[in-house]
Amino acid sequence: MIEVWNLIIGNPVLNVLIALSHLLSGSFGLAIIALTIIVRLISWPLTKRQFKSSKALQDMQPKIQELQKKYGKNKQKLQEEMMKLYKEAGVNPLGCLWPMLIQLPIWIALYQAIMRALATTPENLLDLAQRLYSWDIVNQAIPLSSKFLWLDLGQPDPYFILAIIVGGTMWVQQKMTQAPAVDPRQQSTSRMMLLMMPLMFGFLTLMFPSGLALYWAVSNIIGIITQYFFTGGWGYLKFRSPFQSTQ
Amino acid sequence: MKQPKILLLVVIALLPLTLVSCISGSAQLAKGWAGTAVHEGIIYVGTVDGRVVAINSSTGNLEWSYSIAPGTAPSSGLSCGPTSAPAAIYDTPVVDRDIVYIGTYSGQVLALNTSARSARGEDLPLQTRYGEWKWDCPIDNAKSNAIVADLLVSEDAIYVSSSNGRVYSLDKEFGDLNWESKILDEKYGKLWTSPVIQGDTLYVSTFDGHIYALSLETGELLNWSFESEAGFASSPVIYEDTIFLGSFDRYLYAVKIGSDVPLWKFPEEKPAGNWFWASPIVNEGIVYTGCLDGKLYAIEAKTGEKLWEFDAGNSIVSSPVLLDNLLIVTDESGTVYVFDLSAELGDEAVPLKTISIGAAVRSSFCAQEGLVYIRGEDKQLYVVDIEKGEVSQLISLTIEE
Repeated sequence: MIEVWNLIIGNPVLNVLIALSHLLSGSFGLAIIALTIIVRLISWPLTKRQFKSSKALQDMQPKIQELQKKYGKNKQKLQEEMMKLYKEAGVNPLGCLWPMLIQLPIWIALYQAIMRALATTPENLLDLAQRLYSWDIVNQAIPLSSKFLWLDLGQPDPYFILAIIVGGTMWVQQKMTQAPAVDPRQQSTSRMMLLMMPLMFGFLTLMFPSGLALYWAVSNIIGIITQYFFTGGWGYLKFRSPFQSTQ
Repeated sequence: MKQPKILLLVVIALLPLTLVSCISGSAQLAKGWAGTAVHEGIIYVGTVDGRVVAINSSTGNLEWSYSIAPGTAPSSGLSCGPTSAPAAIYDTPVVDRDIVYIGTYSGQVLALNTSARSARGEDLPLQTRYGEWKWDCPIDNAKSNAIVADLLVSEDAIYVSSSNGRVYSLDKEFGDLNWESKILDEKYGKLWTSPVIQGDTLYVSTFDGHIYALSLETGELLNWSFESEAGFASSPVIYEDTIFLGSFDRYLYAVKIGSDVPLWKFPEEKPAGNWFWASPIVNEGIVYTGCLDGKLYAIEAKTGEKLWEFDAGNSIVSSPVLLDNLLIVTDESGTVYVFDLSAELGDEAVPLKTISIGAAVRSSFCAQEGLVYIRGEDKQLYVVDIEKGEVSQLISLTIEE
């Protein structure tokens, strides 16, 4: 199983990352940024669907609010009617989760690739020799320097700057897509979600090599930019209250 | 109701990431692959549980052992905080008169008195009254002080390559610092290759593709240096004013001291299948070198012309060893190949003997009086009788077993 993983995902990501590093003047940090852009380009069809779902959900808000007013006390009926509405509009409310799940193997492969490529121990360096393709571009790039800006890409950022960037950009990105709930109970869950994910990733940034956190930060920034241009604005980031807009 | 479901999915999604980080994090541990040295019937080797041991080569009895203070394993991923780990040893011990010198991954150089310890037989702490000493390599700008490369022991000094990028010269008798070089590898910061002496000059190869010449007396950089496009993977070896060393670009380089261009690169046309990781050896004008692609090559030292090759099929991680007219090589699978250099070997050499020890081998090994002493990755010490083609397990190198 591990061999299949390495053959299909682990080793290709590792070699592409090293090759990119060689092309980008030996900068492993720039290679991670380039790989992030490539991953975002590959996952663009999924992201596009996510944006469409998000936009459709945004447009459906008045109808949802109407349903919530109408069936506010009958939860089951409300759920049924909302599902019917989603179905009619061809929207999957969980659709926004898929790009994230699709990226999960990339995160794992990237984490492994960073640790393997930077070869912090002699065992890692020897192990790396067995994973490299015979491309000259790859072999000429070895060994790699782990320095990038103020970061040692094989270690967590000691100054918490990356954690703030990752958490902050994730909050902005989520805020842009997350429709505010009308139900007060849902509002608290929604607020918790909005805070929990950026906090969790900020915390993960303190634990994981900063190379991986760099991927998260760049990926979030790309997400924000593309979302801004695709949906034509900041989405729910400027949203105040559903009652204000209807009154 | 949807949001808690999303929350659950996110937690489930993050779980594998956490698990993988912990698994991969543990794989980062430096375990060490110390080679063997034999001197006056005693085999010296570092173990994966952080000890230097002396073993009687005839009886297999443990003469003495010295435990090194545990090192700290780096944290990585969630819930995998820094942990205490046995001090890893990559160095092959060097024996000079009564003293065994060894460097550790935790940044220490140790001088241990073997005859005094043999007499006591215990795991004693360091004894200055026996002339023993310990030197701690400085931590330079938060860079690791790990010692990975073998120590170079000369008549009156010890030369140490450190992971902080500097070379240190120590007084052999007391372990006092004679000098430290400037940081030789600014880009990668670590020196994992041993220096070599020619005359009054020390030559050091680096991961950023340089060979530097240092004054043996002061450690100052001398005028000549050599620069290659790719980094050097192996320690340099000098034969008749030419430096031989392996590179990450899958070539073996021959560099005439004083020259800016390589004398030759091997293979001549396309590169080998992998790195030349182990240092080559040179004997009677012929360079013998193993490659991680599993091939052993014999090359004319002056011209770089290939004389013969042998495909072991598995990576050759450690340097070949000469025993009279026999060339002994091990591959990573634990197979020992013996070549008779006095015989005609042709283009595709055929080994005189092929002996399997049944355990993976990454360490350097030593040979004396027809016997080869090999530390297996299974933490056992093996003795191979070349003439009989027999393998015996001398002793387990762990305390637990």
